[in-house]
Amino acid sequence: MPVILVDRLPLPSLKTYTVISVALLSCSVYYAVQVTSEANWKTNATTPHETVAQASSGKIQDHAFTRVQQAIEPGTIQAELPPLLKAKPTLSVQIAEVVTYMVQEPLCIWTLMNMAYCCLILLGKLIQRVVFGQLRVSEQQHVKDKFWNFVFYKFIFVFGVINVQYLDEVVLWVAWFSVLGFLHLLAQLCKDRFEYLSFSPTTPGWSHARLVGLLFAILLLSGFMFLICIAVGFFDGFNTFAFMAAECVLLTVRTLHVILRYILHLYDMRGSDSGSSGNHEGLARVVAWEKRGPVAYYAELVLELAALLVDLLHHLHMLLWSNIFLSMASLVICMQLRFLTHEIQRRFKKHRNYLWVLNHLEQNYPMASAEELAQNSDNCAICWEKMETARKLPCSHLFHNSCLQSWLEQDTSCPTCRLALSMQSPITRDHGPLDHTLLAVDGGADGVQVARRPPANHFFHFDGSRYVSWLPSFSVEVTHTQLLRADQGPPVQTSQLDAMARQVQQLFPHMPMPVIMDDLRLTRSVEITIENILDGRLVAPPGRRFHEEPSGPIAISSVPTVLPQSAQPSAPDASAQSITHSDSTATDEEPSNLGGRFSKSPSERERILHLRKEQLLQAARRRYLDKQEGSKPSFDSCVVDENVIAPDTMA
Amino acid sequence: MAGSALRRLMAEYKQLTLNPPEGIIAGPINEENFFEWEALITGPEGTCFEGGVFPAKLVFPSDYPLSPPKMQFTCEMFHPNIYADGRVCISILHAPGDDPMGYESSAERWSPVQSVEKILLSVVSMLAEPNDESGANVDAAKMWREDRAEFNRIAEKIVRKTLGLS
Repeated sequence: MPVILVDRLPLPSLKTYTVISVALLSCSVYYAVQVTSEANWKTNATTPHETVAQASSGKIQDHAFTRVQQAIEPGTIQAELPPLLKAKPTLSVQIAEVVTYMVQEPLCIWTLMNMAYCCLILLGKLIQRVVFGQLRVSEQQHVKDKFWNFVFYKFIFVFGVINVQYLDEVVLWVAWFSVLGFLHLLAQLCKDRFEYLSFSPTTPGWSHARLVGLLFAILLLSGFMFLICIAVGFFDGFNTFAFMAAECVLLTVRTLHVILRYILHLYDMRGSDSGSSGNHEGLARVVAWEKRGPVAYYAELVLELAALLVDLLHHLHMLLWSNIFLSMASLVICMQLRFLTHEIQRRFKKHRNYLWVLNHLEQNYPMASAEELAQNSDNCAICWEKMETARKLPCSHLFHNSCLQSWLEQDTSCPTCRLALSMQSPITRDHGPLDHTLLAVDGGADGVQVARRPPANHFFHFDGSRYVSWLPSFSVEVTHTQLLRADQGPPVQTSQLDAMARQVQQLFPHMPMPVIMDDLRLTRSVEITIENILDGRLVAPPGRRFHEEPSGPIAISSVPTVLPQSAQPSAPDASAQSITHSDSTATDEEPSNLGGRFSKSPSERERILHLRKEQLLQAARRRYLDKQEGSKPSFDSCVVDENVIAPDTMA
Repeated sequence: MAGSALRRLMAEYKQLTLNPPEGIIAGPINEENFFEWEALITGPEGTCFEGGVFPAKLVFPSDYPLSPPKMQFTCEMFHPNIYADGRVCISILHAPGDDPMGYESSAERWSPVQSVEKILLSVVSMLAEPNDESGANVDAAKMWREDRAEFNRIAEKIVRKTLGLS
């Protein structure tokens, strides 16, 4: 809600704000010049400083005040002096005097700070113009959220955690967090924009270059800010250093993360360009790709974990150092801590799953030999790219190592034939608890954790280990009564069904798995299903491409079984019929120059796609009207018909 | 990673352009975002949706093809397996993990070997033969079972609308 509230506030436009700021600054400069032109201004000017110091009567405050001077002076002197310095030594002395006066005079300091913010905003606007152009709605929303989040947490930090008492300390912290927040927002914008750009293959190179340039600039600046942290740490002790450095490190890590992802993405895209141009290059690329997978994974993992850990430590530090138990601030921090630990746990679980799948892959599925690869001329079914190396599943389907890895992290079946893979390697079976967490991670994976070559005994033994608390071991024989009992638990039922289906499929390798499963679901008995198949009541639908190969590892499918045609009107079959039927009417309407061409230029592709859509619509409309005319001739349909044909023949 | 998803989508787009299945056109709405496609599907012949050209939007996740895309018709639809807002409910679009209806076997679910073309062909056959067990649109499912004539009349109206004729 606060965001909406702020949106409605009558904030001045950037232009008016800049004008006001500049006017204020020039007023105060004029004032300062007036004051310093008097000969004895120094004796007068020391008084306000002293009164402030007396009023606050704190050592730290004094200390902080000198820091304000240190922080502000270099900036303003740099901004104003260089062109004038060479003119006259007396002038430079005068300007130095003006500046020192302004830094000491409270009123002038406020105008200076206002001007600094104005400059920061203008700089942000400039960067946005140059690098990002028009921000998308989601980016605006993200930045807004992030901004208010940042303001909220830093408010709590300054007033809740370190409990600042003196105004100039507040000012210092605010200045620090303004710059930091500014960089954070920029980094967030870069991340959003990168993610958006990565959705398109046709982004021009220079927009990538600008974004990467900005990212590196942020990285540099965050390094510089880290140096400031160290410097401040020397004066103010370890705690201040840790508080300040945490945000810096966070910014650095996040920026690095985006840069890493960006570089990987650019690498991928470059790869796809060269891959299409030549076979040889494609080969080199795929080899590099195989190595790239783990490297990229670990780099991401380390960066993500580093960011989370730094954040966690930062929050713990805040909670423990500042004695803020039982306050609102501690509540907020505890909530944040809870979220962070949860995230870290999640990440670790994911990583364990990754390691486990990797291990499993390497132990159970051999790399395909060269001749197997030569026999299999298809591309990897997951990424649709050529396979130079591949892993082979028990069902003799081949996939890229990395593709298979990422699929098995979320599911445990062969992508092509749905053969449930035994994700229960002999080594990990000894580590019971690990298995349980893993099963929990991938959502139980349908409970289809069936052994590859199921002697029913083996299969039920495994299920027992999953439900060890209440399931004893099942007997080898699958009988009707046992099945009914198993109906109580749905996951058990599906895995049993699967095992039964596999039994059936061992006998009838040509039958696709889904058909057997469907029938089993009706009959609930292996015997009856087998009878159904033998009697011809259950027939494999023709033309199902992905079930032609038998998934049972025992059955070797060298003989393509002759299937009786069209006994079961399956869904794809029906559509195929309708397609062949309409073929004759449609081919003459589609000009050949649009059909078989895939242009290199994106705009042309878009145009052709648009034209094709138009034509499809026109053709459908004409056919529809023709048909209506056939059934009952009428005047107006003829008229519409002519109108429709006209643009079509032109195209 | 979005990079491999992008390459695969590019390959699919190319294939769909070079060898388009009859009556189906699909491609990115805008080349600046390859993860949002529009598809045109012609209603299968011999069904109540015959002749209609139905536009639908496909939104791909950034880890495609490991996760299925989402599909939503952008025209008015009345069908047992299509929600009132146009979202399509077929098993091929469901990730292996989740089973909203609790009856689909994993064999019918999404797998990375599926493709846009297969999804669209499945949708065509779904148009031809609704599965009235999964009631995405209960009214439509009921009407399909009990009052086929009325269902056909509504379908006819939708077909005319998609052709811009009514």
